[in-house]
Amino acid sequence: MEVSSPRFAGPDRGTAGDGRRKAAPPLGAHAPSVSLPLRFVLTGLLALFLGVAGLVLRPELLATYHYNQHVVAVTHLFTLGFITSIIMGAMYQLVPVALETRLYSERLARWQFLFHFVGFVGMVGMFWTWNLKQVGHFGSVMAVGVGLFVYNIARTLRRVPRWNVIATAVASALGWLSLAVLAGLAVAAGKCTYEGAPQSAAAQSVAPVLAGLRATADFLSRFDPMSTMHAHAHLGGAGFFLLLIIGVSYKLVPMFTLSELRSERRARWSVALLNLGLAGSFFAILLRSPLKPLCALVVIAGLAVYGVEMRAILRARRRRALDWGLRYFLTAISLLGLLALLALVLSWPKLPLTAFTGQLENLYGFLALIGVVGLAILGMLYKILPFLVWYARYSREIGRGRVPALADLYSPRLQVAGYWTYLGGLAATSIAIVLGSTKLMPWGCGLLALSILFFAVNAGRMLSHLVRPKVEPLAFRMPVKPGANANPNVRPRFTSAGTGAASQTLLS
Amino acid sequence: METETAARVTEAQVWNALHQVIDPEIGCNIVDLGLVYHVAIAGSRVSVAMTLTTPGCPMHESIAQGVQNALLCLEDVDDVDVQIVWDPPWSPAMMTDRGRASVGIA
Repeated sequence: MEVSSPRFAGPDRGTAGDGRRKAAPPLGAHAPSVSLPLRFVLTGLLALFLGVAGLVLRPELLATYHYNQHVVAVTHLFTLGFITSIIMGAMYQLVPVALETRLYSERLARWQFLFHFVGFVGMVGMFWTWNLKQVGHFGSVMAVGVGLFVYNIARTLRRVPRWNVIATAVASALGWLSLAVLAGLAVAAGKCTYEGAPQSAAAQSVAPVLAGLRATADFLSRFDPMSTMHAHAHLGGAGFFLLLIIGVSYKLVPMFTLSELRSERRARWSVALLNLGLAGSFFAILLRSPLKPLCALVVIAGLAVYGVEMRAILRARRRRALDWGLRYFLTAISLLGLLALLALVLSWPKLPLTAFTGQLENLYGFLALIGVVGLAILGMLYKILPFLVWYARYSREIGRGRVPALADLYSPRLQVAGYWTYLGGLAATSIAIVLGSTKLMPWGCGLLALSILFFAVNAGRMLSHLVRPKVEPLAFRMPVKPGANANPNVRPRFTSAGTGAASQTLLS
Repeated sequence: METETAARVTEAQVWNALHQVIDPEIGCNIVDLGLVYHVAIAGSRVSVAMTLTTPGCPMHESIAQGVQNALLCLEDVDDVDVQIVWDPPWSPAMMTDRGRASVGIA
């Protein structure tokens, strides 16, 4: 019999002579303190709201070709501010839990938040004003943060007792993230000029760095600027975000539906094909190679295998009803089918470079970031945020008072309303992008903003439990110790001494 | 489900207390979920063998702590031993009808 055995003793009691008793393990042995992921999540939500509000106020951003300073700024607000912030916070929380290990260093993670926040805010601001030298500086600050993050998670992964496909996917995603950041810094370096640099005294002390930047710029000048930008975006979007969503879903979807991974081999194949296809696509995009559709097909094959495994997991689920958080997530990954089709069309070498093609590229980016990743994140946030709040506020109260379940922390009606308005917003904005319509765009983005507002209200409800917990008295039917309740405001009810009959009623 | 010895705290009281502990993700108490496999009482010490719906459940420690809290609330319980076991693995067949109905499990 496989047993893990936490043993508990009353708080003031000593160790028994048999030596078998030990102190209760601290709560949260696998997870960091709640304030750590929460700061990332709240930062991400704020960035999402600002980004969507920006699209409502500036509808022309998605109705014109994406290679301009404002679109690049808003894109980085979504990718770094919204998506990466939330993913980082969630990974600090979930990777130790999902892989049954401990976070390597919470202190490093706190420092990383500072680098990340300063870095992405500065980058977005500097992109908006198209000051690429400062983009490079703030990007370097963020890169330090990413380095700390990758190091921390990589050291955490080294502690994993049993390496599995989820760990492989997470490790792959970290690799893609590192490459995306390096590629981004290289793109920024390639867009700067260095003629005046050697003349300043300060520059002499960093001459090797400048030489490296100049060499990077010279190297990148061999490639088409649009291709380098698309290759960089591909590393971040398809590499980091997609691999992570897929890897994490192999753990979370079975967990939330009471199912299990049906074929580890199939899951490994999906991750391997995705990694192979993504690596090939990176070079194909960078070199404008005619092999782009072939690489896209390898990625699509990986997605198809993933789809087959996900379908098998869902078919074997023991919890038939899918909650709305999962519906958000599953809808998001269903959109991968549409995205894959679009990717195949856009990878076609003979595709004419018309304004309509440009709008299709905008649609691809929008559906990838706001459709697939955004919706998946909102769905998972309906799991993660209640968990964080519950863990912080109620994990010590459970068994001492009647605590709410996770689903009691927010309004299901708002959750459902948020789902449909988000889908409506996605559909309307997608049509507006394809048509290049600045009239329809605010309506679509407005629906998205409304959906996010619904989520914000629900998030406020969840967070309110941190300051106003709702613990009710237990329905004990037997004598309890005086002061046994943790919450001084909660006293157990003394109804009657426990009897078999009473218990039978409860157990029936 | 068995009791080892007669004790001041009764098995019925222990089961009643365990009813107060919920799995917060599923929103059902651990007894109706069928997570509790065995309860043993020896004097003022209670041992509980239980499982979780899935290995690596993020609520693992909270639920085990909840069992400890609920049982240590009982007047005649001074020591609680919670064993998390994975054999046999949990399945919905272990749930009571009420538990199954409350969480929508087929």
